[in-house]
Amino acid sequence: MFDLFSNLWLGFSVAAQPANIGFCLLGALVGTLVGVLPGIGTVATVAMLLPITFSLAPVGALIMLAGIYYGAQYGGSTTSVLVNIPGEATSVVTCLDGHQMARQGRAGAALAIAAIGSFIAGCVSTILVAALGEPLTKIALWFGPAEYFSLMVLGLMFAVVLAHGSVIKAIAMILTGLLLSMIGSDIETGAGRMTFDWPELSDGIGFANVAMGVFGFAEIIRNLEVSQESRDIVQSKIKGLMPTKKDLKDSSGAIARGTLIGSILGILPGGGAVVASFAAYTVEKRISKHPERFGKGAIEGVAAPEAANNAAAQTSFIPLLTLGIPPNAVMALMVGAMTIHGIVPGPQVMTKQPDLFWGMIASMWLGNLMLVVINLPLVGVWVSLLRVPYRLLFPSIVVFCCIGIYSINNSATDVLIAAAFGLFGYWLSKHEFEPAPLVLAFVLGPLMEENLRRAMLIARGDPSVFVTRPISAGLLFVAVAMLTLAMLPLIRRRRDEVFVE
Amino acid sequence: MATGHGAGKPVISLKIRAPRDFWGGLALIALAIIAFFATRELGGMQGVAFGPGTAPRLFAGLLLAIGCVVTATGLMTDGPPIETFAFRGPAFVLAGIGAFAVMMQGLWFVPPLGLVLSSFAAFIISISGSREARWMESLIAAAAMTTFCVVLFSIVLKLPFPLWPAFML
Repeated sequence: MFDLFSNLWLGFSVAAQPANIGFCLLGALVGTLVGVLPGIGTVATVAMLLPITFSLAPVGALIMLAGIYYGAQYGGSTTSVLVNIPGEATSVVTCLDGHQMARQGRAGAALAIAAIGSFIAGCVSTILVAALGEPLTKIALWFGPAEYFSLMVLGLMFAVVLAHGSVIKAIAMILTGLLLSMIGSDIETGAGRMTFDWPELSDGIGFANVAMGVFGFAEIIRNLEVSQESRDIVQSKIKGLMPTKKDLKDSSGAIARGTLIGSILGILPGGGAVVASFAAYTVEKRISKHPERFGKGAIEGVAAPEAANNAAAQTSFIPLLTLGIPPNAVMALMVGAMTIHGIVPGPQVMTKQPDLFWGMIASMWLGNLMLVVINLPLVGVWVSLLRVPYRLLFPSIVVFCCIGIYSINNSATDVLIAAAFGLFGYWLSKHEFEPAPLVLAFVLGPLMEENLRRAMLIARGDPSVFVTRPISAGLLFVAVAMLTLAMLPLIRRRRDEVFVE
Repeated sequence: MATGHGAGKPVISLKIRAPRDFWGGLALIALAIIAFFATRELGGMQGVAFGPGTAPRLFAGLLLAIGCVVTATGLMTDGPPIETFAFRGPAFVLAGIGAFAVMMQGLWFVPPLGLVLSSFAAFIISISGSREARWMESLIAAAAMTTFCVVLFSIVLKLPFPLWPAFML
């Protein structure tokens, strides 16, 4: 217990350095700024803003990224409430009641309760991450290559189950991502693989290029097809930001339950935040005395999913920081950023770079605080941003992304590769392939291959090692069980309904 | 494209019922074959150790299998048609990105032109992809965005970009 506080103290002493507070603030602001833009989700926002953190020192860069992440998420909720366009799956549920509240003239209360709910959830889950971080890194000691491989299989299967639409196609995206990640030099022999003798490919495809292409550029190209003139923006002036006593009373239970659900689901690999917000909403609807109010502007319907997705966003750092395995696409981006700074995510980060580890945890809390104190007063600014026509927004995003990618390596080829992935992402969307599993697999690919090779070598080429070692067998069993369940027709239908709702 | 139409005879119908899956699956198969082709010269298993080509071929094999399943789904289940691909939007956006890359780095007869001109050009080219674009407004917005980017990237983040064409300095 004492350790926990001394560690958190260390974290806050790092995060509270003026420069780092500045980065956190800047990150939260820019994150919200981009996240608010309709049609641009959290992943796309983080992918776009990733390059601007590369020139900073590692601690500052990661703190800024954490700020960007929370800002992006909050920005997405703002768009959901005001325009009824969810940036991403996590804020789909917020649309249901949030936009209804806005139409009833209670946009201010909806946005405030979303921020307050997120903040409370953030406080609780920050302590949870700090408390669980240390014991969980001990687990990592039991993990050999076989266990790591199986854990990554499990993570990818979660991503498959949680992707919209066809399970088979999501698996196809995973395999495509794994194959793409193998372009470049082989880690052991140095042989060039699938480079087509093209020197630009010998170091592999940069991960930021893939992410920016399939999330950023593809998104823009697709949005251009839909006329953006008829957006349902709440036109009335937003007043009464402070929620009433009754609002607070109504939503306190929802926030508590949302926090609990989100914290638990976030730890699971594979996109906990999405399930968490759906689960929290469903639970509130079930236990409510007046379930008919949901979908018509019930404040619990905003409070619970917002608390849940923020709690999940926070606790999803646990698998990343303790095992080095990103549980979802945003965390995959974080791994990319850490690697560029020469940090290998995993249990050793906590012992070797305690200031980075605890500083980041503390900055999560700070990031949440920033959202409440900065973003709420700025709601008016975000609203006016929503009124900027899309025809002016999209070229700005294109230019911004171009400079961002170019700045990573001063390489024009990188920009062109990202453009190619943009076209690829556009094609994928036309054929109903989800890009998120592809990006996750792309990041996990090298780690997976390395562990697979080591496990096979240690077992002298006997693949049964994955099922004879108990932890590995358990992880694989869960992966197969989940996949089977997702393929069963009955459950598939339920799953589709959840996503449609 | 679709077989089984035409003569009206009830032949064994190999009709594409879900084109998104069918063509998507074929593309996956093509991708797997390209991967096999690209790794053909890489060593495979060396005793119990993986060679550089083992893992790519393993995953390419799995992708081939899944691609067949997806293609088969396209023949056996019904699905919506493929949405038409827009041309104008993607073409201008991609041209804008390409222009930025070429102008920043310089290629063939184009000298490196610096951040200001590259950003401005990328903005103007990509905005032409929208049918709703208006000239005056676009020029003002492009100038504003270029200024914003110069301030953010060159002044705040201190990235060492050349701002103006090399021959002007």
